[in-house]
Parts: sequence; structure tokens; C-alpha cells
Amino acid sequence: MRAMDEISVSQSQAQKREKRKLALNIAAYLFPIIIIVVVFVFAPLAIILFFSFLKSGPYGQIVYTFTFENIGAILGGGYGKVFLQSIYLALQTNLLCILFGYPIAYYITRFGGKWKTLWIFLIIVPSWSSYLIRLYALKTLVGTKGTINTLLMNLGIISEPIQILYTNFAVTMALVFAWLPFMILPIYAALDGLDRSVLEAATDLGATPFRRFFRVTLPLTRGGLLAGSILVFIPTVGEWLVPSIFGGSKIMMAGSLVAHKFTAVGNIPQGSSLAIMLAATLVLILYLTIKWGGREALEKAL
Amino acid sequence: MKKKRIASKILWVLSSLTLIFLWAPMILIIVFSFSNNKYGSSWEGFTLKWYVKLFTNDQVRDALMRSLIIAGVTVVVATLIGTITAYGLYKLNFRGKQFLRTSILLPIVFPSVVTGSALLVFFTRLVHIPLGYPSIIIAHIVFCSPLAVFIILGRMQRFDWSWEEAALDLGATPFRTFLRVTGPQLLPAIMASAMLIFPWSFDDFVITYFVAGVGSTTLPIYVFSQLRFGATPVINTIGTLFVSITMLGMVLVYFVQKMGKSNS
Repeated sequence: MRAMDEISVSQSQAQKREKRKLALNIAAYLFPIIIIVVVFVFAPLAIILFFSFLKSGPYGQIVYTFTFENIGAILGGGYGKVFLQSIYLALQTNLLCILFGYPIAYYITRFGGKWKTLWIFLIIVPSWSSYLIRLYALKTLVGTKGTINTLLMNLGIISEPIQILYTNFAVTMALVFAWLPFMILPIYAALDGLDRSVLEAATDLGATPFRRFFRVTLPLTRGGLLAGSILVFIPTVGEWLVPSIFGGSKIMMAGSLVAHKFTAVGNIPQGSSLAIMLAATLVLILYLTIKWGGREALEKAL
Repeated sequence: MKKKRIASKILWVLSSLTLIFLWAPMILIIVFSFSNNKYGSSWEGFTLKWYVKLFTNDQVRDALMRSLIIAGVTVVVATLIGTITAYGLYKLNFRGKQFLRTSILLPIVFPSVVTGSALLVFFTRLVHIPLGYPSIIIAHIVFCSPLAVFIILGRMQRFDWSWEEAALDLGATPFRTFLRVTGPQLLPAIMASAMLIFPWSFDDFVITYFVAGVGSTTLPIYVFSQLRFGATPVINTIGTLFVSITMLGMVLVYFVQKMGKSNS
């Protein structure tokens, strides 16, 4: 009896020691990132959450009275429409990116051969190049005095420049242009990791190529599609540069509202409420996507 | 067999068109950076004068120096944090680990306007960190460290850990093991992450714009300020330099990783 007690005591001591060692290790390795997450991610979000319930005074100072005005203006007013429009544009961008991205990812995996590395290189470079410069470059191409218009006018095909900028089409095109590489790469990673024998089995069992793609390949690359969608959809909802460069004053998105309130108007409570609503919407979407199985694929894609 | 060849041809055409769409604008500004046209949007003969203008422009030189300092500090700190965090996440199992991993993902996937505005309010209203170098560098470390974590973590998952076990079994201290065995083996991954973080920090516009305050013009902020006055050939030259730096970085990453593979 006494011997048993001693054993269990020493066992629990060993467990305690293990626990302490683990805690020490966590402190040693993960302390900096925990500081970053808690102090520089969560605390700032908490601050803007707090400010979103306050009012702005006539000189841009913050008045410490509690109000639901800002949140109300988003849920019920014109800002709500901008949010819905952003979500719509982001969904459209996401679908277009899948539509253009899947074939190229599929081509590289199946038929890339010795050019595989070059193809991937040519897709990665734009995704790491300055986003601002790329948008500027696209504007140079499609602007009123841009290359396409100059060329068509010199050739005598058109007499007046075509108005491409400041249209829905321009915004959509720029969004796809900006985010497409971030869809291609995760899909490629998923396709590349696919077990070839599964596909061969499907063919051997008599599946047509068409059926095989929709019943086997596509479901098995769901993770890649989800990861790509996280990388494309979420930043797109919060776009600011694309609507301001390609949409002018005609097309607003949620991100441009936030930027406008902070950088042009200087209304911190309103800006905070817009930012927090944007963050809340996206956290909800992110949560659902991750629950659906996107996290592993997302981490792999990075 | 013939069907398959047709399918691959169709896919090739589609893929090439997509690639052209992604590259045509970039190639154009590279070409126009050598063009005599003063609007920088068509070809009028070869010149290098915009590059001369670029390197003699004090504003550009200041902005470039500022961007290089910020990116340099960010790369060092973020890679360091990324390495030890990835190591910790890989080796340790504890409650809340999944939550921590998801939280680390937040700064990567959140729209820049949210991160930027939240940090701006935090810096100006709560902790009073001066806007300029301190605020910009902190902000860059915040959004670059998570990236380093996942880049290095990804490489660790395909890593041969038996060397480390052997070193520990033979009596090396954990610190010495990391310094002499694990660290050198991880070096290609660490260097890859550093080279990928550099452009990430160097190129950032949105978050930097929020937290920069007055007078701290980085290169992307300078470009943005010039865009308002319409396009200039000087931006074409800056764009060309940006793309060249990114491509050089990617090529280096490729060779470093190849080197890492042949070593292990």
C-alpha cells in the first residue's frame, strides 16, 4: 500500500516536472509571437472595437459618449450597401480566379514537364512583386491615354479612346489581375500532391475524363480551392487601391471606406466601426472556411 | 491518346493567355522605362535618361534608403521570431496550440486596411509610439513574422529530424544541438524566408501608409503620391527595379533551396 503510494507520488511529481518543462519551453520559443499576437493584433482590434462605440467631435476629436450610431449606419444605411457590393465583387473575383486559375494549375501539373519550374516561377514573381506597381502598370495599359487606346487609335480602328477606367469591368479586371496568382499556387500545390494511382483507378473503373475530373480530381483538391479562396476573397473585400485607382469615385468598396474615414476625413470612431465590421465579417467567413477544412491547405500553400 | 493531345493544346493556349494577362502590363512598363515618350505610355526610341533622372532625384533616394532600412530591420527580426516560433510550434504540443496557429494567420489574411487602421489607432491613442521609423518597423514585424513562421514551419515538416535526435542522444546540450546541427540544417529554409520577407516588407504600401505619419515617405508611398499627378516615366523605372529585385530574390531562393536539398 505504502509502496503504491510512493510510486503514484513520484509519478505525479514527474508529471509536474514535465508540465513545468513544457511551460518553460513554450515561454522560451513562443513568447515573442504571443506578444505580437496579443499586443499588436488583439489589443489594436480591441481598441478600435471600443472606439467604434464613441462619437467624433466637430474638430475630429473623440467624444467619450456611448453610441450605436456608427454600427447602425453600417447595418441599416448606405455603408451597408457598400459592404454588400464589396462581398459581391469579392465573390465574383474569387469565382473568376478559380475559372482562370484551375486550368493553368492543371496544365502545369499534368503537362508542365521540364518547363514546370519556369511556369511556377512566372506565376510566383507577380505574386511577390509590388502590388502598387502592378496596378500602376495595368493602368498604363488600359487608361484613356494608355497603350491599348493609343495603339488602336494609331491603327485607325477607333477615333475616340475607349473608356475602360472607372467602370465595373475595369475594377473586376484589376481585382482578378491582382489576386489570380494567389489562387493558382494553392490549387497547383493541391494538384501536385494528388496521388496519381487514384486517378488511374478511376480510369480503369471506366470513368470518362469528364466524370473523373468532377468526381475525383475536383473533390480531392478542395483544400487547395479553399486555401486559394481565403487568400483571394478576404483581401478583396477589404480592397482600397483597386477601387480608388480603377473605380474612381464611382465604385466604393469596404476597404476604401475605412481608408477614407481614417486618412481623408479623420473620423476615428466611424473609421473604427467600419474596420471592426469588416474584420468581424471576415473572421466569420474565415472561421467557416477553416471549419470546412481550409487551414491545413492554407498553411501548406504559404 | 489523340484526345489527350488536343486537351493539352487547349489547356496550353488558356494557360498562356492567362500568363500573358499577368505579365503584359509589367513587360510594358519595363519597355517604356527605356522609351523617350515623356508620358511613359508608348515607344519613342531608346533612352536611359529616366534612369539618370531616377538616381539623381533626392526624394527618390531618401525614400529608397528609408524603405531599405525598414525592410532590412524587418527581415532580421521577423526571420528570427519566425524561426524560433516555427521550432516551438513544431516541437511542442499544448492546449491552445490550434488557437495560436489560427491567431498567427490573422495578420496575413486580414485586409491591410484593418491591420493598418487598428495599428494607427493603437500607436496614436493608446501607447504613443512615434509615427515614423518606430511605428513602421513594428507594423512590418507584425505582418511579416507570421509569414516567416509558416514558411519555415512548412519546410520543417519535410525535414530529417534524426540528426538532431542523434546529437541529443550523444550528449550535446539542446542549445549546442540547435547551434551545431539543427540550425545549419534549417539554414536554407531560414534564408528562403528572409528573401521572401524582404520584398513583402519593401513593397508594402497600405499598412505603411496608415502608420507612417507625416514625412516618412517610403518608396511605395512616393510612387503612390506620384500616381495622383498622372503617370511619369520615372515610375516605370522604379517599377522595373522592383520587378528585377523580386526576380533576383526568387532565383536566389530557388538556388538556396536546391543547395539545401543536395546537402541533406
